[in-house]
Amino acid sequence: MAASNTFDAIVVGSGMSGGWAAKELCEKGLKTLVLERGRNVRHIEDYTTALKDPWELPHNNRPTNADRKQQPIQSTLYLYDQSTKQFLVDDTKYAYEQAQPFNWYRGYQVGGRSLLWARHVFRFSDLDFEANLKEGVGIDWPIRYADISPWYDHVEKFIGASGENPGLPQLPRQILQPPFEMTALEKHIKREFEKEFTDRRLICSSIAVLSREHNGRGPCQGRNQCARGCPYTAYFSSNGVTLPAAQKTGNLTLQPDNIVHSLIYDDAKQRVTGVRVIDANTFVSTEYYAKVVFLCASALNSTTILLNSRSARFPDGLGNDSGELGQNLMDHHNGGGATASYSGYLDRYYKGRRSTSMYIPRFRNVTTREEKFKRGYGYEVYSGRGNWTRGVDSAEFGADFKNEITRPGEWSIYIEGYGETLPYHDNRIWLSHDKLDRWGMPKQNISMTYRDNERAMAQQMADDAAEMLEAAKLENVKSFNHPVVPGSVIHEMGTARMGRDPKTSVLNGNNQVHAVPNLFVTDGSFMVSSPTQNPSLTYMALTARAADFAVEKLKRGEL
Amino acid sequence: MTDRRAFLRGASVLMGSAALGQVMTAFAATPRKASHFTEHEMRTLSTLVDLILPATDSPAASAADTHYFIDLAIPACARPQAQQTFRAGLKSLAGIERRKPEEQVAALKARAAKDIKLEYDVSFFKILKDYTMTGYFLSEIGATQALAYEKIPGGFQGDLPLKPDQKAWAI
Repeated sequence: MAASNTFDAIVVGSGMSGGWAAKELCEKGLKTLVLERGRNVRHIEDYTTALKDPWELPHNNRPTNADRKQQPIQSTLYLYDQSTKQFLVDDTKYAYEQAQPFNWYRGYQVGGRSLLWARHVFRFSDLDFEANLKEGVGIDWPIRYADISPWYDHVEKFIGASGENPGLPQLPRQILQPPFEMTALEKHIKREFEKEFTDRRLICSSIAVLSREHNGRGPCQGRNQCARGCPYTAYFSSNGVTLPAAQKTGNLTLQPDNIVHSLIYDDAKQRVTGVRVIDANTFVSTEYYAKVVFLCASALNSTTILLNSRSARFPDGLGNDSGELGQNLMDHHNGGGATASYSGYLDRYYKGRRSTSMYIPRFRNVTTREEKFKRGYGYEVYSGRGNWTRGVDSAEFGADFKNEITRPGEWSIYIEGYGETLPYHDNRIWLSHDKLDRWGMPKQNISMTYRDNERAMAQQMADDAAEMLEAAKLENVKSFNHPVVPGSVIHEMGTARMGRDPKTSVLNGNNQVHAVPNLFVTDGSFMVSSPTQNPSLTYMALTARAADFAVEKLKRGEL
Repeated sequence: MTDRRAFLRGASVLMGSAALGQVMTAFAATPRKASHFTEHEMRTLSTLVDLILPATDSPAASAADTHYFIDLAIPACARPQAQQTFRAGLKSLAGIERRKPEEQVAALKARAAKDIKLEYDVSFFKILKDYTMTGYFLSEIGATQALAYEKIPGGFQGDLPLKPDQKAWAI
């Protein structure tokens, strides 16, 4: 029994980071056990809604009252409907305490949220890695762009991404397939920006969606139904890309329905020796052992496992000598933006459903210094011509009405800023060890608020959005600045940050727990700040880098 | 990988999965029978959905069974207050199916003018129009005949000339 429970490596979680850890460790020859708390989701076979027409889905894809009761938080997500709800958790089973309002969108299944993500993959730059140090905010990142750059290359070559290299220092050059095409209105805006601005550009987003075939995958078929799972493997997911690569080596053991309760720490060796697992269905407890453990359970859940791993040596959670474990929670904020319409280009249309956005890269606090706030934001840009939904809210009906709304309407555009949030020490997660769920896991408490810096930035986001759409000569320009509930951008980050000093950080520059050299944490919990760019690509790159480091150390007998 | 066979291979894996057999059970039964609303209410509803979306160069809403969609969707999806509003609205317009066409239009116009100012959950016209449009335009008839629908477009072309009288995309 003990022998069959012993592996070279254990990876906790099978999402964006876990899939990469599995692939890299397996390919380097380690017998690797991947533990996933949720059910198995087999690539393609289990994408049960992927090719359904709207009329084949219950209630033409509208959520029901019963759905909203079962998933009161998940059902507020923009992509929630009858075709995607199976990839989001049952909120009644997985309750957490909101000390401050926090929307926690979770996908507990093999592949995790790599099935659901919005697929934007920009690199961070030294503008991001140096910001904390230069401004005296939080602590310094222990790495710089040169440390991660080869690993961005490594990841991009494998996942396949498309987009446009704008040649801007804040968006380092990437390995990209040609981008998806702009619409007539987007081309118009691009031209107007070139006339009106020196610091603002409209580009095609870097996106982990294939515009060309890549390693037998894709290309994208223009269905824009990614979150149902892609039968063409045209977007990157663990299920479709990294887990199959890990499987191919013969070194992977994937166990779904295995909830990791805590890590087993050996005082004498000063190492973790394995993990304690609860079977999600039978509630039976089992231990698994390995030389090295990678935590990739998502930011809040990896931190939960560490906080729940208490011993005489680590009474406040494994690796928590600094007291920083659970602290410095971040998410982006996206409340500021603008909408507009345009009455021209009525003779232009498009074919297919593009699953990507256009993008306006960050231009604030790049070469100049803002008075009102630190850091910056980029915009996602969505445009199209009106469809039948434009007629829903009007008082009109009848034959003329039907004829009108069954033809393409005017062009409209929606742009939404994605802003950086500073790391505040008291934005945090902590556990109530006296309140256990059915699996014996303590209740998670989450408290996060945005502060003055984010509020000032959001106002500028809204103002800039309107100014840019006016400059592009669009019509009916309206800015918005609506409040955002933290967690809503689904980029929860921090709570086990990297750093140079064990006194102020949980992980070192190799994602290694300072005091426990054979334990690595490579999901969003390692983040030290929250750069404007979408973070998943960086999780993947640092996971691959940490796996390489771990295997080299193992070979030399230094773990 | 860009040929049609490859696309169909992706599709056929799904066709082989168990889930596809489950679709269209409640909705495909013929002759249709209402499960929530009474026969009287269904006659009123059938008239109302056709007033909103009558036959033009594409079939009317009732030809796509939009009233049967509403019969299933209102009890399942609408909030309790909206469900009450909807039933009361049907009652207040009962018998509209027996009136002359121009009287039907006038009656619904009057109702729309009044209801459009109200909040959604207490506005019969808003609820009726929302469910009629979702039911029709996302039905097979609505999506493929009143609008243009491509299940698998095969890619994205961002900037094409609009053809004469081209229909808008359904999704």
